[in-house]
Amino acid sequence: MTEPSGGDERIALVLQGIDKRYGATQALRSASLRVRAGTVHALLGENGAGKSTLMRIAYGMERPDAGAIAVHGAKVRLNSPANAIALGIGMVHQHFTLVPVMTVAENVALGGHGMLDLSRTISELHELSARTGFSLDPEVQVERLSVAAQQRVEIAKALMRRARLLVLDEPTAVLPPSESTELLRWLRSFADQGNAVVLITHKLGEALSIADDVTVLRRGRTVLVVAGKDATAAALTDAMLGAASAGEQVGKTPATDRVESRASSRIPVFRAEQATLADTSGMVRVRDASFVIGAGEIVGVAGVEGGGQRELLRALAGRLPVVTGVLERPDMVGFVPEDRHRDAVLLDRPLVENVALRGAGTRRGLIEWNTIGARTESLMRTFDVRAPGPRAPIRTLSGGNQQKLVLARELDADDMTSTAAIVVENPTRGLDVRATAEVHARLRAARDAGAAVVLYSSDIDEVLLLASRVLVVYAGTVREAPIDRDVVGRLMLGAETHAER
Amino acid sequence: MPLGLAALGELLVERAGLINIGLEGAILAGAFGALVGASTAGGIGAGFAAAALAGLVIAMLFALCVIWIRADQIIAGTALTLLSVGATGTLYRALFGSSGAALRIPTSEPVAIPGVATLPVVGAALFSQPPITYFLYLLAPALAWWLARTHAGLALRAIGERPEAAEAAGIAVDRLRVLAILSGGVLGGLAGGTLVLAQAGTFAEGMSAGRGFIAIAIVVLGRWTPYGVAAGALLFGAASALQYAFQAMGWNAPYQVFLVVPYALTLAALAGAVGRARAPAALGRALETRR
Repeated sequence: MTEPSGGDERIALVLQGIDKRYGATQALRSASLRVRAGTVHALLGENGAGKSTLMRIAYGMERPDAGAIAVHGAKVRLNSPANAIALGIGMVHQHFTLVPVMTVAENVALGGHGMLDLSRTISELHELSARTGFSLDPEVQVERLSVAAQQRVEIAKALMRRARLLVLDEPTAVLPPSESTELLRWLRSFADQGNAVVLITHKLGEALSIADDVTVLRRGRTVLVVAGKDATAAALTDAMLGAASAGEQVGKTPATDRVESRASSRIPVFRAEQATLADTSGMVRVRDASFVIGAGEIVGVAGVEGGGQRELLRALAGRLPVVTGVLERPDMVGFVPEDRHRDAVLLDRPLVENVALRGAGTRRGLIEWNTIGARTESLMRTFDVRAPGPRAPIRTLSGGNQQKLVLARELDADDMTSTAAIVVENPTRGLDVRATAEVHARLRAARDAGAAVVLYSSDIDEVLLLASRVLVVYAGTVREAPIDRDVVGRLMLGAETHAER
Repeated sequence: MPLGLAALGELLVERAGLINIGLEGAILAGAFGALVGASTAGGIGAGFAAAALAGLVIAMLFALCVIWIRADQIIAGTALTLLSVGATGTLYRALFGSSGAALRIPTSEPVAIPGVATLPVVGAALFSQPPITYFLYLLAPALAWWLARTHAGLALRAIGERPEAAEAAGIAVDRLRVLAILSGGVLGGLAGGTLVLAQAGTFAEGMSAGRGFIAIAIVVLGRWTPYGVAAGALLFGAASALQYAFQAMGWNAPYQVFLVVPYALTLAALAGAVGRARAPAALGRALETRR
């Protein structure tokens, strides 16, 4: 894709033929990236395309299985972030790496050697503020700062270590629009001074408006390298989604499987009207959402990370209150969170105790273990959960069987009348093909039995396969889309918004 | 005085986000080491050196369990304390016989500092002390300075708060944790040495008598700052002295009542202090598994 890296100093970073495998997942397959000094380079791709992995490799946090790295024309091996920092690479992670109780200056000084001279750090930060137009108070505690200001601290940390190549992972996902614009403008001027910026993003509009070069990753491969001025929203979308495979994927879905749905003809189970949702820190994530989800349908939810779907799903499941507007939902909604091990089960406890967890927060008094034991056994039978027995710790089960038990519990399978609704988030993550097919079959069966199923998956094909329509969340707005890979994909990337401009 | 040393050592460990219940074991090992060092090699210096070494060995075991194997900190610390109780007892009987004829070893003589030692009330209590006490007086400010004014000190504090952030800043997190544990062990060992070489002049099984746990409480009482910890240790020491004073007044009360005084006072101070104190955020948190 790129010619071998010569000793060209004008190329800030070359990654070539990078392979990386995590267990059974091939995260990167011979991926490459070539960042010229003096430019902003957008790195685009869907969730799981390998963008973050590639940049973690560039920052020495992960080691590639194969491939070569060159920084400013010199071949290098990166064994730790310390190596990368020494080479002038700075990274702003999506989740900040700051110590909350320490001041800005202390955070910036962290990682140095010898004597700590905070007053010097403070004056250097003032100087940096003056030079770059960053507003930063070096003596304030980081935990008192807004997210945007914390991000500036991260950038300041990199700049104080003389970073000439700045990698930012989804920097605008956490920012309100005005702050985003300001950040992008600043990145532009930083690049214009001869530095380089790699901007990892899901947002097409951002890439098109600021990038000199664009690289698109899909399923771990570099599929498109194009100059920003030659790029079009359509070409980038096609590259990200894989235009050729799009029609094929949808075509695979058997037509008979799809229950044609029209929300109005169903008994509404969820109804949102002008609902506004905020995350736990109080930041508004979804604005004025209105939709209806009826009994007996699977409605997909799609969105790129940080778009607000996480909050939408939790609000539907009753885990997050509504800020303003209306969200009608049944009292008891089953919820299958994406991190099964952390949020759905007690790994070292027996199956029966895990089954007893459902609705545990609303019950009082003694637990009827006999009843729950019998229920566990019946759930295991109906959902074909392969386990040594109802008293075995859930850890001893395979991932697929764990997930089936969680689904069975949340669907309350012996008593279908009570569960009219379930919200599932990445229900097949980490499962093999067979277990995935079983989970899919269970969700369809629940729908056929009259449940309202809300399905989110970061794998858009899974959503398209099961759902009858899709709610697409993009930057806090919820829009409804039909089962059409192209339409959903474009809405997810905010492509329409871009065209409107 | 032994409390101050042990508590300052534990302070280092806790600022690195770890909690070493094995401190009690390090103190006891240090006491036994002091006995062996002083009675075989002779001399107080050899006693303290052996005490430090014994504390270091216990700390190395703790580091091995917690950093290398990633075992639970509380379990590892408890196990090491029990190990130390058993091992010192067994070795004591094996080396010095079980007759219980208490071995006397020379103790470190108090050195009066001219000028201040004659001050009324506090003079003799603070400035006519064995040399190890003056080391303690220097240690608290030295630690405070190190934590605040060196990059290594800043790194240690960062590890205790947000190890992921420290790692991203290029700090070798595990190495610094090990160093903190080892330093804590040496100070714990010296605390045990002080018990034998500057106070009792002999060793008895289980003579640490819970001082390791008191030291851990003092770290909390001192709000994880060196000066606070030093003040906490002084308060506890004063309370112990008060207890003897009460007993000497000849009140008609069971002596156990007076024994409670230092603990009750510490507990009261703790209850008052903790509300406002803020522990290192990563304190005692299970260590992240290694990649």
